[in-house]
Amino acid sequence: MVQFQDVSVIYGESFALSRVNLCVEPGEFVFLVGATGAGKSTMLRLMYGDLKPTRGQVMIYGQNITNLKPTGIPKLRRGMGIVPQDYALLPRKNVWENIAYGLRAIGYSQREVHRRVAHALALVGMSSEAKSKPDELSGGEAQRVAIARAIANNAPLLIADEPTANLDPETSWDITLLLQQINLRGATVIVSTHNPAIVDRLKKRVVAMENGEIISDTPSGSYPGEIERARISVATLRR
Amino acid sequence: MIDRLLFILNETWANLRRNGLMQFAAISTSTVALILLGSVGMMLYKLDSVAQSLPRKFEIEVFAHEDAKREEVVALQQQLQAMPEVALVQLITKEEAWQQEKDALLDQMDLSDLPNPLPDKLIVSTREPEQIAGVSKRIRQEKVVEDVLNQQETLAQVMSISRFIRWTGFSISGLLMLSALVLIYNAIRLTVLSRQTEVRIMSLVGANHRAIRMPFVLEGAVQGGLGGMLASGMVLLGARMISDYTSSAWPFLDQLPGGAPVWSVLASLVALGVLLGGLSASWAAQRFVKI
Ligand SMILES: Nc1ncnc2c1ncn2[C@@H]1O[C@H](COP(=O)(O)OP(=O)(O)OP(=O)(O)O)[C@@H](O)[C@H]1O
Ligand SMILES: [Mg+2]
Repeated sequence: MVQFQDVSVIYGESFALSRVNLCVEPGEFVFLVGATGAGKSTMLRLMYGDLKPTRGQVMIYGQNITNLKPTGIPKLRRGMGIVPQDYALLPRKNVWENIAYGLRAIGYSQREVHRRVAHALALVGMSSEAKSKPDELSGGEAQRVAIARAIANNAPLLIADEPTANLDPETSWDITLLLQQINLRGATVIVSTHNPAIVDRLKKRVVAMENGEIISDTPSGSYPGEIERARISVATLRR
Repeated sequence: MIDRLLFILNETWANLRRNGLMQFAAISTSTVALILLGSVGMMLYKLDSVAQSLPRKFEIEVFAHEDAKREEVVALQQQLQAMPEVALVQLITKEEAWQQEKDALLDQMDLSDLPNPLPDKLIVSTREPEQIAGVSKRIRQEKVVEDVLNQQETLAQVMSISRFIRWTGFSISGLLMLSALVLIYNAIRLTVLSRQTEVRIMSLVGANHRAIRMPFVLEGAVQGGLGGMLASGMVLLGARMISDYTSSAWPFLDQLPGGAPVWSVLASLVALGVLLGGLSASWAAQRFVKI
Protein backbone atom coordinates (compact mmCIF):
# COMPACT_ATOMS: atom_id res chain seq x y z
CA MET A 1 0.00 0.00 0.00
CA VAL A 2 2.80 2.38 0.99
CA GLN A 3 6.36 1.60 0.06
CA PHE A 4 9.60 3.53 0.56
CA GLN A 5 12.70 2.27 -1.23
CA ASP A 6 16.01 3.76 -0.13
CA VAL A 7 14.42 7.17 0.33
CA SER A 8 16.59 10.14 1.28
CA VAL A 9 15.52 13.73 1.70
CA ILE A 10 18.26 16.30 1.88
CA TYR A 11 17.85 19.95 2.87
CA GLY A 12 21.02 21.72 1.83
CA GLU A 13 23.70 19.77 3.65
CA SER A 14 21.57 17.96 6.22
CA PHE A 15 19.64 14.71 5.83
CA ALA A 16 16.01 14.92 6.93
CA LEU A 17 15.67 11.29 5.86
CA SER A 18 18.49 8.97 5.05
CA ARG A 19 18.01 5.74 3.04
CA VAL A 20 14.68 4.79 4.53
CA ASN A 21 12.94 1.55 3.58
CA LEU A 22 9.38 0.92 4.68
CA CYS A 23 6.49 -1.21 3.53
CA VAL A 24 2.96 -0.81 4.88
CA GLU A 25 0.40 -3.46 3.93
CA PRO A 26 -3.32 -2.76 3.40
CA GLY A 27 -5.29 -2.79 6.64
CA GLU A 28 -2.29 -2.07 8.87
CA PHE A 29 -2.18 0.44 11.72
CA VAL A 30 1.28 1.96 11.94
CA PHE A 31 2.73 4.33 14.52
CA LEU A 32 5.63 6.47 13.41
CA VAL A 33 7.48 7.49 16.56
CA GLY A 34 10.55 9.59 17.26
CA ALA A 35 11.77 12.76 18.89
CA THR A 36 11.29 16.21 17.38
CA GLY A 37 13.19 16.48 14.12
CA ALA A 38 13.44 12.71 13.67
CA GLY A 39 11.77 12.94 10.27
CA LYS A 40 8.19 11.79 10.95
CA SER A 41 6.48 14.66 9.16
CA THR A 42 8.90 14.33 6.31
CA MET A 43 7.84 10.69 5.87
CA LEU A 44 4.15 11.61 5.84
CA ARG A 45 4.63 14.52 3.44
CA LEU A 46 6.37 12.19 1.03
CA MET A 47 3.30 9.94 1.11
CA TYR A 48 0.87 12.64 0.05
CA GLY A 49 3.10 14.22 -2.54
CA ASP A 50 3.87 17.39 -0.59
CA LEU A 51 7.57 16.64 -0.91
CA LYS A 52 9.77 14.81 -3.39
CA PRO A 53 12.52 12.47 -2.26
CA THR A 54 16.03 13.59 -3.11
CA ARG A 55 16.87 9.93 -3.75
CA GLY A 56 14.92 6.68 -3.79
CA GLN A 57 11.35 5.80 -4.71
CA VAL A 58 7.98 6.26 -3.04
CA MET A 59 5.09 4.03 -4.11
CA ILE A 60 1.45 4.47 -3.10
CA TYR A 61 -1.08 1.80 -4.07
CA GLY A 62 1.65 0.34 -6.27
CA GLN A 63 1.97 3.60 -8.19
CA ASN A 64 5.37 5.23 -8.23
CA ILE A 65 4.76 8.81 -7.16
CA THR A 66 8.41 9.79 -7.08
CA ASN A 67 8.17 11.68 -10.34
CA LEU A 68 4.48 12.51 -10.17
CA LYS A 69 3.64 15.70 -12.04
CA PRO A 70 1.94 18.45 -10.02
CA THR A 71 -1.28 17.79 -11.93
CA GLY A 72 -1.27 14.21 -10.65
CA ILE A 73 -1.21 15.19 -7.00
CA PRO A 74 -4.94 16.03 -6.58
CA LYS A 75 -5.93 12.55 -7.74
CA LEU A 76 -3.39 10.96 -5.39
CA ARG A 77 -4.80 12.91 -2.46
CA ARG A 78 -8.40 12.11 -3.29
CA GLY A 79 -7.36 8.50 -2.66
CA MET A 80 -6.34 9.21 0.94
CA GLY A 81 -7.42 11.13 4.01
CA ILE A 82 -4.97 13.61 5.52
CA VAL A 83 -5.28 15.01 9.05
CA PRO A 84 -2.99 18.01 9.40
CA GLN A 85 -1.34 18.66 12.74
CA ASP A 86 -3.04 22.05 13.24
CA TYR A 87 -6.57 20.76 12.36
CA ALA A 88 -6.93 23.46 9.67
CA LEU A 89 -10.57 24.25 10.44
CA LEU A 90 -12.23 27.33 8.98
CA PRO A 91 -13.16 29.58 11.91
CA ARG A 92 -16.22 31.15 10.28
CA LYS A 93 -17.79 27.87 9.26
CA ASN A 94 -19.47 25.50 11.67
CA VAL A 95 -18.52 21.85 12.06
CA TRP A 96 -20.91 20.64 9.40
CA GLU A 97 -19.82 23.28 6.89
CA ASN A 98 -16.17 22.58 7.56
CA ILE A 99 -16.55 18.96 6.54
CA ALA A 100 -18.86 19.80 3.66
CA TYR A 101 -16.31 22.33 2.36
CA GLY A 102 -13.71 19.66 1.64
CA LEU A 103 -16.24 17.47 -0.13
CA ARG A 104 -17.66 20.28 -2.22
CA ALA A 105 -14.15 21.32 -3.23
CA ILE A 106 -13.67 17.97 -4.91
CA GLY A 107 -16.99 18.17 -6.70
CA TYR A 108 -19.49 16.07 -4.79
CA SER A 109 -23.15 16.88 -5.37
CA GLN A 110 -25.11 18.59 -2.60
CA ARG A 111 -26.98 15.40 -1.83
CA GLU A 112 -23.85 13.29 -1.65
CA VAL A 113 -22.16 15.92 0.51
CA HIS A 114 -25.10 15.84 2.90
CA ARG A 115 -25.02 12.07 3.18
CA ARG A 116 -21.26 11.85 3.69
CA VAL A 117 -21.04 14.66 6.23
CA ALA A 118 -23.76 13.07 8.34
CA HIS A 119 -22.03 9.72 8.14
CA ALA A 120 -18.57 11.08 8.99
CA LEU A 121 -19.91 13.10 11.93
CA ALA A 122 -21.67 10.06 13.31
CA LEU A 123 -18.46 8.02 12.98
CA VAL A 124 -16.40 10.48 15.00
CA GLY A 125 -19.23 11.02 17.49
CA MET A 126 -19.75 14.70 16.72
CA SER A 127 -23.28 14.69 15.27
CA SER A 128 -24.63 16.79 18.12
CA GLU A 129 -21.97 19.49 17.57
CA ALA A 130 -22.73 19.97 13.88
CA LYS A 131 -23.76 23.59 14.39
CA SER A 132 -20.84 24.60 16.63
CA LYS A 133 -18.09 26.89 15.43
CA PRO A 134 -14.49 25.69 15.78
CA ASP A 135 -13.74 28.15 18.61
CA GLU A 136 -16.51 26.55 20.67
CA LEU A 137 -14.82 23.14 20.47
CA SER A 138 -12.28 21.53 22.78
CA GLY A 139 -9.00 20.34 21.30
CA GLY A 140 -10.22 16.76 21.16
CA GLU A 141 -13.45 17.78 19.45
CA ALA A 142 -11.60 19.88 16.90
CA GLN A 143 -9.37 16.90 16.18
CA ARG A 144 -12.45 14.73 15.66
CA VAL A 145 -13.79 17.21 13.14
CA ALA A 146 -10.45 17.22 11.30
CA ILE A 147 -10.54 13.42 11.24
CA ALA A 148 -14.15 13.44 10.04
CA ARG A 149 -13.14 15.69 7.13
CA ALA A 150 -10.31 13.31 6.26
CA ILE A 151 -12.49 10.19 6.27
CA ALA A 152 -15.55 11.75 4.65
CA ASN A 153 -14.24 10.75 1.25
CA ASN A 154 -14.07 7.14 2.45
CA ALA A 155 -10.47 6.72 1.32
CA PRO A 156 -8.62 3.46 2.06
CA LEU A 157 -5.64 5.27 3.61
CA LEU A 158 -5.64 7.72 6.53
CA ILE A 159 -2.55 9.76 7.38
CA ALA A 160 -2.46 11.74 10.63
CA ASP A 161 0.48 13.89 11.74
CA GLU A 162 0.66 14.05 15.55
CA PRO A 163 -3.08 13.89 16.12
CA THR A 164 -2.59 13.87 19.90
CA ALA A 165 0.12 16.50 20.13
CA ASN A 166 -1.93 19.15 21.93
CA LEU A 167 -4.31 16.90 23.86
CA ASP A 168 -4.39 15.67 27.46
CA PRO A 169 -3.69 11.94 28.02
CA GLU A 170 -7.33 10.90 28.29
CA THR A 171 -8.42 12.75 25.17
CA SER A 172 -5.35 11.45 23.37
CA TRP A 173 -6.45 7.94 24.15
CA ASP A 174 -10.00 8.65 22.90
CA ILE A 175 -8.64 9.96 19.61
CA THR A 176 -6.37 6.95 19.32
CA LEU A 177 -9.34 4.65 19.83
CA LEU A 178 -11.20 6.55 17.14
CA LEU A 179 -8.30 6.02 14.74
CA GLN A 180 -8.27 2.34 15.66
CA GLN A 181 -11.99 2.15 14.95
CA ILE A 182 -11.41 3.66 11.52
CA ASN A 183 -8.68 1.07 10.98
CA LEU A 184 -11.06 -1.73 12.00
CA ARG A 185 -13.52 -0.50 9.37
CA GLY A 186 -10.88 -1.36 6.79
CA ALA A 187 -8.70 1.72 6.27
CA THR A 188 -4.93 1.61 6.52
CA VAL A 189 -3.91 4.14 9.18
CA ILE A 190 -0.49 5.76 9.54
CA VAL A 191 -0.05 8.01 12.57
CA SER A 192 2.99 9.93 13.73
CA THR A 193 3.37 10.65 17.43
CA HIS A 194 5.87 11.22 20.17
CA ASN A 195 3.52 9.94 22.84
CA PRO A 196 5.00 6.62 24.12
CA ALA A 197 2.15 5.89 26.54
CA ILE A 198 -0.35 5.54 23.73
CA VAL A 199 1.98 3.59 21.51
CA ASP A 200 2.69 1.08 24.26
CA ARG A 201 -0.95 0.74 25.19
CA LEU A 202 -2.38 0.08 21.72
CA LYS A 203 0.16 -2.55 20.72
CA LYS A 204 0.16 -1.83 17.01
CA ARG A 205 3.09 -1.79 14.64
CA VAL A 206 5.66 0.81 15.69
CA VAL A 207 8.23 2.31 13.38
CA ALA A 208 10.77 4.22 15.44
CA MET A 209 12.86 6.99 13.89
CA GLU A 210 15.91 8.95 14.92
CA ASN A 211 17.82 11.54 12.95
CA GLY A 212 16.12 10.65 9.71
CA GLU A 213 16.64 6.91 10.00
CA ILE A 214 14.38 4.06 11.00
CA ILE A 215 15.98 2.53 14.09
CA SER A 216 13.38 -0.12 14.79
CA ASP A 217 10.23 -1.64 13.34
CA THR A 218 8.12 -3.57 15.84
CA PRO A 219 5.20 -5.67 14.61
CA SER A 220 1.77 -5.35 16.22
CA GLY A 221 0.79 -7.42 19.23
CA SER A 222 4.13 -7.07 20.98
CA TYR A 223 4.36 -6.21 24.65
CA PRO A 224 6.56 -3.46 26.00
CA GLY A 225 9.25 -5.88 27.04
CA GLU A 226 9.22 -7.51 23.67
CA ILE A 227 9.62 -4.18 21.93
CA GLU A 228 13.11 -3.88 23.33
CA ARG A 229 13.96 -7.41 22.29
CA ALA A 230 12.36 -7.04 18.88
CA ARG A 231 14.28 -3.88 18.18
CA ILE A 232 15.65 -5.17 14.97
CA SER A 233 17.99 -3.33 12.79
CA VAL A 234 15.93 -2.74 9.68
CA ALA A 235 17.22 -1.96 6.25
CA THR A 236 18.61 1.34 7.36
CA LEU A 237 22.28 1.66 6.69
CA ARG A 238 24.09 4.23 8.81
CA ARG A 239 26.15 6.67 6.91
CA MET B 1 -20.74 19.85 -12.92
CA ILE B 2 -23.34 22.28 -11.62
CA ASP B 3 -22.16 21.58 -8.08
CA ARG B 4 -18.56 22.32 -9.00
CA LEU B 5 -19.62 25.58 -10.62
CA LEU B 6 -21.71 26.54 -7.61
CA PHE B 7 -18.80 25.87 -5.30
CA ILE B 8 -16.47 28.03 -7.38
CA LEU B 9 -19.00 30.87 -7.62
CA ASN B 10 -19.62 30.64 -3.90
CA GLU B 11 -15.92 30.95 -3.19
CA THR B 12 -15.64 33.87 -5.58
CA TRP B 13 -18.43 35.63 -3.74
CA ALA B 14 -16.73 34.95 -0.41
CA ASN B 15 -13.50 36.40 -1.82
CA LEU B 16 -15.22 39.53 -3.04
CA ARG B 17 -16.65 40.27 0.39
CA ARG B 18 -13.23 40.38 1.98
CA ASN B 19 -10.81 43.34 1.95
CA GLY B 20 -13.46 45.93 1.16
CA LEU B 21 -10.94 48.72 0.80
CA MET B 22 -8.75 46.78 -1.59
CA GLN B 23 -11.78 45.77 -3.67
CA PHE B 24 -12.80 49.42 -3.82
CA ALA B 25 -9.32 50.47 -4.94
CA ALA B 26 -9.13 47.79 -7.61
CA ILE B 27 -12.58 48.49 -8.99
CA SER B 28 -12.26 52.27 -8.94
CA THR B 29 -8.87 52.26 -10.64
CA SER B 30 -10.10 50.03 -13.41
CA THR B 31 -13.15 52.28 -13.70
CA VAL B 32 -11.01 55.38 -14.14
CA ALA B 33 -8.72 53.67 -16.63
CA LEU B 34 -11.63 52.37 -18.65
CA ILE B 35 -13.44 55.73 -18.52
CA LEU B 36 -10.45 57.36 -20.15
CA LEU B 37 -10.08 54.58 -22.66
CA GLY B 38 -13.78 54.67 -23.41
CA SER B 39 -13.80 58.46 -23.94
CA VAL B 40 -10.79 58.31 -26.20
CA GLY B 41 -12.40 55.49 -28.12
CA MET B 42 -15.62 57.41 -28.53
CA MET B 43 -13.88 60.60 -29.65
CA LEU B 44 -11.85 58.69 -32.18
CA TYR B 45 -14.97 56.95 -33.42
CA LYS B 46 -16.69 60.30 -33.90
CA LEU B 47 -13.70 61.86 -35.65
CA ASP B 48 -13.33 58.79 -37.82
CA SER B 49 -16.90 58.93 -38.94
CA VAL B 50 -16.53 62.64 -39.65
CA ALA B 51 -13.41 61.92 -41.66
CA GLN B 52 -15.14 59.09 -43.47
CA SER B 53 -17.97 61.34 -44.51
CA LEU B 54 -15.61 63.92 -46.03
CA PRO B 55 -13.48 62.59 -48.84
CA ARG B 56 -16.31 61.33 -50.98
CA LYS B 57 -17.01 64.83 -52.27
CA PHE B 58 -14.48 66.39 -54.63
CA GLU B 59 -15.80 69.79 -53.78
CA ILE B 60 -14.43 73.21 -53.03
CA GLU B 61 -16.55 75.78 -51.27
CA VAL B 62 -15.79 79.32 -52.42
CA PHE B 63 -17.13 82.19 -50.31
CA ALA B 64 -17.39 85.62 -51.91
CA HIS B 65 -16.64 88.88 -50.13
CA GLU B 66 -19.59 90.19 -48.20
CA ASP B 67 -19.84 93.26 -50.42
CA ALA B 68 -19.10 91.48 -53.69
CA LYS B 69 -21.62 92.23 -56.40
CA ARG B 70 -23.75 89.43 -57.77
CA GLU B 71 -22.41 90.05 -61.31
CA GLU B 72 -18.87 89.60 -60.10
CA VAL B 73 -19.78 86.29 -58.50
CA VAL B 74 -21.56 85.09 -61.62
CA ALA B 75 -18.57 86.14 -63.70
CA LEU B 76 -16.31 84.12 -61.46
CA GLN B 77 -18.66 81.18 -61.79
CA GLN B 78 -18.36 81.28 -65.57
CA GLN B 79 -14.62 81.75 -65.44
CA LEU B 80 -14.22 78.72 -63.19
CA GLN B 81 -16.56 76.62 -65.25
CA ALA B 82 -14.23 77.20 -68.19
CA MET B 83 -11.30 75.58 -66.43
CA PRO B 84 -10.56 72.08 -67.78
CA GLU B 85 -10.21 70.51 -64.31
CA VAL B 86 -13.58 71.78 -63.18
CA ALA B 87 -16.62 69.61 -63.69
CA LEU B 88 -19.33 71.81 -62.29
CA VAL B 89 -19.74 75.14 -60.57
CA GLN B 90 -22.91 75.75 -58.67
CA LEU B 91 -23.96 79.12 -57.32
CA ILE B 92 -25.74 79.35 -54.03
CA THR B 93 -26.82 82.89 -53.43
CA LYS B 94 -26.77 84.33 -49.96
CA GLU B 95 -30.56 84.48 -50.00
CA GLU B 96 -30.85 80.78 -50.80
CA ALA B 97 -28.24 79.86 -48.20
CA TRP B 98 -29.98 81.91 -45.54
CA GLN B 99 -33.33 80.37 -46.34
CA GLN B 100 -31.82 76.90 -46.09
CA GLU B 101 -30.25 77.71 -42.75
CA LYS B 102 -33.50 79.12 -41.41
CA ASP B 103 -35.40 76.03 -42.59
CA ALA B 104 -32.86 73.68 -41.04
CA LEU B 105 -33.03 75.39 -37.67
CA LEU B 106 -36.73 76.10 -37.77
CA ASP B 107 -37.68 74.17 -34.68
CA GLN B 108 -34.60 75.18 -32.69
CA MET B 109 -34.57 78.93 -33.03
CA ASP B 110 -36.27 81.78 -34.84
CA LEU B 111 -33.88 83.59 -37.17
CA SER B 112 -36.44 85.61 -39.07
CA ASP B 113 -35.57 88.94 -37.41
CA LEU B 114 -31.86 88.74 -38.05
CA PRO B 115 -30.13 90.29 -41.03
CA ASN B 116 -28.60 87.77 -43.42
CA PRO B 117 -24.97 87.19 -42.30
CA LEU B 118 -24.10 84.81 -45.15
CA PRO B 119 -22.14 85.58 -48.33
CA ASP B 120 -22.72 84.22 -51.82
CA LYS B 121 -21.16 80.86 -52.29
CA LEU B 122 -19.87 78.80 -55.21
CA ILE B 123 -19.53 75.06 -54.98
CA VAL B 124 -16.83 73.85 -57.35
CA SER B 125 -16.54 70.18 -58.20
CA THR B 126 -13.31 68.99 -59.77
CA ARG B 127 -13.07 66.01 -62.08
CA GLU B 128 -10.49 64.23 -59.89
CA PRO B 129 -9.83 64.55 -56.15
CA GLU B 130 -6.12 65.27 -56.78
CA GLN B 131 -7.06 68.48 -58.59
CA ILE B 132 -8.71 70.01 -55.52
CA ALA B 133 -5.54 71.47 -54.02
CA GLY B 134 -4.37 73.13 -57.25
CA VAL B 135 -7.74 74.56 -58.17
CA SER B 136 -8.26 75.86 -54.59
CA LYS B 137 -4.97 77.68 -54.79
CA ARG B 138 -5.91 79.42 -58.03
CA ILE B 139 -9.35 80.40 -56.79
CA ARG B 140 -7.84 81.94 -53.70
CA GLN B 141 -6.06 84.54 -55.86
CA GLU B 142 -9.33 85.96 -57.18
CA LYS B 143 -10.25 89.39 -55.78
CA VAL B 144 -13.94 88.59 -55.16
CA VAL B 145 -13.04 85.59 -53.05
CA GLU B 146 -13.01 85.92 -49.29
CA ASP B 147 -12.32 82.30 -48.36
CA VAL B 148 -11.89 78.90 -49.92
CA LEU B 149 -12.72 75.72 -48.06
CA ASN B 150 -12.00 72.32 -49.35
CA GLN B 151 -12.69 69.04 -47.61
CA GLN B 152 -9.11 67.89 -47.97
CA GLU B 153 -7.92 70.59 -45.65
CA THR B 154 -10.70 69.87 -43.22
CA LEU B 155 -9.85 66.21 -43.49
CA ALA B 156 -6.21 66.89 -42.74
CA GLN B 157 -7.23 68.88 -39.68
CA VAL B 158 -9.58 66.17 -38.47
CA MET B 159 -6.87 63.60 -39.00
CA SER B 160 -4.31 65.54 -37.03
CA ILE B 161 -6.70 66.05 -34.12
CA SER B 162 -7.52 62.39 -34.28
CA ARG B 163 -3.83 61.47 -34.29
CA PHE B 164 -3.19 63.67 -31.28
CA ILE B 165 -6.07 62.16 -29.33
CA ARG B 166 -5.00 58.70 -30.34
CA TRP B 167 -1.48 59.09 -29.05
CA THR B 168 -2.03 61.04 -25.85
CA GLY B 169 -5.28 59.28 -25.04
CA PHE B 170 -4.01 55.82 -25.56
CA SER B 171 -0.76 56.37 -23.75
CA ILE B 172 -2.44 57.91 -20.70
CA SER B 173 -5.10 55.25 -20.60
CA GLY B 174 -2.41 52.63 -21.11
CA LEU B 175 -0.64 53.88 -18.00
CA LEU B 176 -3.87 53.92 -16.03
CA MET B 177 -4.65 50.46 -17.28
CA LEU B 178 -1.28 49.31 -16.04
CA SER B 179 -1.98 50.70 -12.58
CA ALA B 180 -5.39 49.00 -12.61
CA LEU B 181 -3.64 45.75 -13.42
CA VAL B 182 -1.21 46.23 -10.56
CA LEU B 183 -4.04 47.03 -8.15
CA ILE B 184 -6.07 44.01 -9.15
CA TYR B 185 -2.95 41.88 -8.87
CA ASN B 186 -2.43 43.19 -5.35
CA ALA B 187 -6.05 42.77 -4.37
CA ILE B 188 -5.87 39.13 -5.44
CA ARG B 189 -2.61 38.67 -3.56
CA LEU B 190 -4.30 39.93 -0.38
CA THR B 191 -7.31 37.69 -0.89
CA VAL B 192 -5.05 34.69 -1.39
CA LEU B 193 -3.22 35.55 1.82
CA SER B 194 -6.46 35.88 3.75
CA ARG B 195 -7.64 32.53 2.44
CA GLN B 196 -4.61 30.39 3.01
CA THR B 197 -6.46 27.93 5.21
CA GLU B 198 -9.09 27.37 2.53
CA VAL B 199 -6.41 26.86 -0.08
CA ARG B 200 -4.62 24.39 2.17
CA ILE B 201 -7.77 22.40 2.89
CA MET B 202 -8.68 22.23 -0.78
CA SER B 203 -5.18 21.14 -1.60
CA LEU B 204 -5.19 18.43 1.12
CA VAL B 205 -8.51 16.93 0.08
CA GLY B 206 -7.28 16.81 -3.51
CA ALA B 207 -9.24 19.56 -5.24
CA ASN B 208 -7.99 20.21 -8.77
CA HIS B 209 -5.61 23.11 -9.08
CA ARG B 210 -7.94 24.83 -11.46
CA ALA B 211 -10.81 24.62 -8.98
CA ILE B 212 -8.55 26.13 -6.33
CA ARG B 213 -7.34 29.02 -8.48
CA MET B 214 -10.52 29.75 -10.40
CA PRO B 215 -12.29 31.74 -7.65
CA PHE B 216 -9.35 34.14 -7.50
CA VAL B 217 -9.28 34.56 -11.26
CA LEU B 218 -13.01 35.18 -11.30
CA GLU B 219 -12.61 37.72 -8.51
CA GLY B 220 -10.24 39.73 -10.70
CA ALA B 221 -12.53 39.34 -13.69
CA VAL B 222 -15.45 40.65 -11.63
CA GLN B 223 -13.40 43.63 -10.43
CA GLY B 224 -12.43 44.46 -14.01
CA GLY B 225 -15.95 43.81 -15.29
CA LEU B 226 -17.52 46.05 -12.65
CA GLY B 227 -14.97 48.71 -13.56
CA GLY B 228 -15.98 48.33 -17.21
CA MET B 229 -19.65 48.61 -16.36
CA LEU B 230 -19.24 51.73 -14.24
CA ALA B 231 -16.92 53.22 -16.84
CA SER B 232 -19.29 52.65 -19.74
CA GLY B 233 -22.10 54.18 -17.70
CA MET B 234 -20.02 57.29 -17.05
CA VAL B 235 -18.73 57.54 -20.61
CA LEU B 236 -22.19 57.23 -22.12
CA LEU B 237 -23.62 59.72 -19.64
CA GLY B 238 -20.76 62.13 -20.35
CA ALA B 239 -21.21 61.78 -24.10
CA ARG B 240 -24.93 62.44 -23.76
CA MET B 241 -24.32 65.56 -21.66
CA ILE B 242 -21.74 66.90 -24.10
CA SER B 243 -23.92 66.29 -27.11
CA ASP B 244 -26.91 67.89 -25.37
CA TYR B 245 -24.79 70.94 -24.64
CA THR B 246 -23.22 71.23 -28.09
CA SER B 247 -26.46 70.72 -29.95
CA SER B 248 -28.06 73.59 -28.06
CA ALA B 249 -25.00 75.83 -28.37
CA TRP B 250 -24.03 74.91 -31.93
CA PRO B 251 -27.02 73.23 -33.58
CA PHE B 252 -25.19 72.74 -36.88
CA LEU B 253 -23.03 70.08 -35.18
CA ASP B 254 -26.05 67.79 -35.25
CA GLN B 255 -25.47 67.41 -38.95
CA LEU B 256 -22.23 65.55 -38.22
CA PRO B 257 -22.42 61.77 -38.24
CA GLY B 258 -23.41 60.18 -34.91
CA GLY B 259 -21.21 58.65 -32.20
CA ALA B 260 -20.48 55.02 -31.33
CA PRO B 261 -23.55 52.88 -30.58
CA VAL B 262 -24.33 52.51 -26.88
CA TRP B 263 -24.25 48.72 -26.70
CA SER B 264 -20.87 48.45 -28.35
CA VAL B 265 -19.32 50.87 -25.86
CA LEU B 266 -20.83 48.90 -22.99
CA ALA B 267 -19.85 45.51 -24.37
CA SER B 268 -16.29 46.43 -25.27
CA LEU B 269 -15.50 48.19 -21.98
CA VAL B 270 -16.95 45.35 -19.90
CA ALA B 271 -15.18 42.74 -22.03
CA LEU B 272 -11.91 44.61 -21.76
CA GLY B 273 -12.31 44.96 -17.99
CA VAL B 274 -13.10 41.26 -17.57
CA LEU B 275 -10.17 40.28 -19.76
CA LEU B 276 -7.61 42.52 -18.05
CA GLY B 277 -8.90 41.76 -14.55
CA GLY B 278 -8.95 38.03 -15.20
CA LEU B 279 -5.49 38.13 -16.73
CA SER B 280 -3.79 39.95 -13.88
CA ALA B 281 -5.71 37.86 -11.34
CA SER B 282 -4.54 34.66 -12.94
CA TRP B 283 -0.96 35.90 -12.77
CA ALA B 284 -1.46 36.62 -9.08
CA ALA B 285 -3.15 33.25 -8.48
CA GLN B 286 -0.39 31.45 -10.34
CA ARG B 287 2.18 33.22 -8.24
CA PHE B 288 0.64 33.28 -4.77
CA VAL B 289 -1.61 30.24 -4.50
CA LYS B 290 0.78 27.66 -3.09
CA ILE B 291 -0.64 24.22 -3.58
N1 LIG C 1 11.80 23.04 4.86
C1 LIG C 1 12.87 22.58 5.55
N2 LIG C 1 14.07 23.14 5.37
C2 LIG C 1 15.16 22.67 6.06
N3 LIG C 1 15.10 21.67 6.93
C3 LIG C 1 13.92 21.08 7.16
C4 LIG C 1 12.74 21.51 6.49
N4 LIG C 1 11.71 20.75 6.91
C5 LIG C 1 12.22 19.88 7.80
N5 LIG C 1 13.54 20.08 7.96
C6 LIG C 1 14.43 19.30 8.83
O1 LIG C 1 14.22 17.93 8.58
C7 LIG C 1 14.28 17.19 9.79
C8 LIG C 1 13.04 16.33 9.96
O2 LIG C 1 11.93 17.19 10.15
P1 LIG C 1 10.46 16.62 10.43
O3 LIG C 1 9.54 17.77 10.40
O4 LIG C 1 10.21 15.49 9.51
O5 LIG C 1 10.61 16.09 11.91
P2 LIG C 1 9.46 15.51 12.86
O6 LIG C 1 9.90 14.16 13.25
O7 LIG C 1 8.15 15.63 12.21
O8 LIG C 1 9.56 16.48 14.09
P3 LIG C 1 8.37 17.08 14.98
O9 LIG C 1 8.12 16.08 16.06
O10 LIG C 1 8.96 18.34 15.52
O11 LIG C 1 7.20 17.33 14.09
C9 LIG C 1 14.47 18.20 10.91
O12 LIG C 1 15.82 18.21 11.27
C10 LIG C 1 14.07 19.52 10.29
O13 LIG C 1 14.85 20.57 10.83
MG1 LIG D 1 6.34 16.79 12.57
